[in-house]
Amino acid sequence: MKRRVPLSSRPFPADEQLPAPPRPAGRVLDARLHLLDRQVHDVDETPVVVVDDLEVRGTDGDEHPTGAQEAVVTALLSGPVLGTRVFGGRPPATRWHRIAWSDVTEVGVVVRLGVRGDALDVTWTERWVRDHVVGRIPGGRHDPG
Amino acid sequence: MKRLFAVALGILTAIGGFLDIGDLVTNAVVGSRFGLSLAWVVVVGVVGICLFAQMSGRVAAVSGRATFEIIRERLGPRAAGANLAASFAVNLLTLTAEVGGIALALQLASSVEPRLWIPVAAFAVWLVIWRTKFSVMENVTGLVGLTLVVFAVAVFLLGPDWGELAQQALRPAAPASEGPAVYWYYAIALFGAAMTPYEVFFFSSGAREERWTRRDLAQSRANVLVGFPLGGILSVAIAACAAIVFLPRGVEVSSLSQIVLPVALAGGKLALALVIVGIVAATFGAALETALSSGYTLAQYLGWPWGKFRRPARAARFHLTMIVALLVAVAVLMTSVDPIAVTEFSVVFSAVALPLTYLPILVVANDPEYMGDAVNGRVTNALALVYLVVILAASLAAIPLMIATGAGS
Repeated sequence: MKRRVPLSSRPFPADEQLPAPPRPAGRVLDARLHLLDRQVHDVDETPVVVVDDLEVRGTDGDEHPTGAQEAVVTALLSGPVLGTRVFGGRPPATRWHRIAWSDVTEVGVVVRLGVRGDALDVTWTERWVRDHVVGRIPGGRHDPG
Repeated sequence: MKRLFAVALGILTAIGGFLDIGDLVTNAVVGSRFGLSLAWVVVVGVVGICLFAQMSGRVAAVSGRATFEIIRERLGPRAAGANLAASFAVNLLTLTAEVGGIALALQLASSVEPRLWIPVAAFAVWLVIWRTKFSVMENVTGLVGLTLVVFAVAVFLLGPDWGELAQQALRPAAPASEGPAVYWYYAIALFGAAMTPYEVFFFSSGAREERWTRRDLAQSRANVLVGFPLGGILSVAIAACAAIVFLPRGVEVSSLSQIVLPVALAGGKLALALVIVGIVAATFGAALETALSSGYTLAQYLGWPWGKFRRPARAARFHLTMIVALLVAVAVLMTSVDPIAVTEFSVVFSAVALPLTYLPILVVANDPEYMGDAVNGRVTNALALVYLVVILAASLAAIPLMIATGAGS
């Protein structure tokens, strides 16, 4: 077993300041922890979707970046990708409902968008149900009480 | 003065809202077979629901996140999806039992076949969800449900042998006629009835509906810590009524008319009328809560807009979910299945599903990112951990005991 070297006899000063690894400016986000499965709110605080998956692209435009490449999140995904996240697989890109990353204004306890949820493709089921079922039942378009 | 009124109103609603068809049926069945020897389970259940309802209310008020949003965030889509499937199914079963309960209570009042009442009851539930304000809905059913206090009055009017009741309650053991497996099976059923998970979904989502903030925390704590124990006393009173009237005669409660019989014996027609009104209000209130919970859980998992504070067209899928849930409940009941039997199954499956709901709440209530300085204290955490063990044990034992005892028969 190696004996512990006392502080005083070490080959470097005990209070030496080592250079810290470079930190990117701003807050560090963990895609899994801070983005996946977070609730998304639109500019009016209305819930839009939950982030079911993320679209990641290489900075050089590569659609399937490897771990060695630099990559950025380009969109939040929702809809059918939930099924493939639960059961595995990968839906064709034509079935993705994307929310462009440029629409995101804040990542906190919820992910906030700077646009209205009504204008997004992901909320088409909500609009369909509203226009074909719920909105047609008497009283459906009035405030309760 | 206004504040005091709000607190009093909240407490009264909590008492009236505590009881549902699960509590009514399970307590009466247990009372008729085991006397008060399972009253300790109600105490354990009430402390547990106080602990976790208060915690989920605090999480919702401080972080603005309802329970199922948190479950999804913390457990990921797969585990949360399995949790959703189980919770939604149990909730649907409870909703079916509650709607059946309304129909049975209306049958007692009118002698009209319950299958004629079932669609009427479900339609009325939907109409209230569709058009009434959240606070009005909560307060009216809660306050009218208070008439169930006649169960407590009936205990006194029946003039029981207090010594014997106390002995049953203080020296809990299975009566000679019942085996220990059945005793524990009903202990779990009673625990599930007191701690039904929908109450937590409803409580946390309700906190968002009423836009609670930190300032409302003291009031919510008072509602829970005073209202629920008083509701628990009513539960024990129901068991006591059944114990006084049915236990000595060896009659087993299997219908709603038997549940109200002790009250009728003690107080005559007026008491009977009151208790029927109370049961209609309690089951109606619980049907509203379970129907809303079915919408809350699904909408929160998938991130849809939800809430009664939005007009239905602004939370379309949320409202469609509740309509479908009510239609399924009606369809199940129309097969002439006995609502009492549905209730007995629903409380046991509630016990099975309990850990799925309570563990994520406990985890998030300790997360400073959500809670800031309002995280759980040490005492709350210690108590919650003890309860987690109890809940887990009840959940694991429920199905084996159900098979071993033939569902308590």
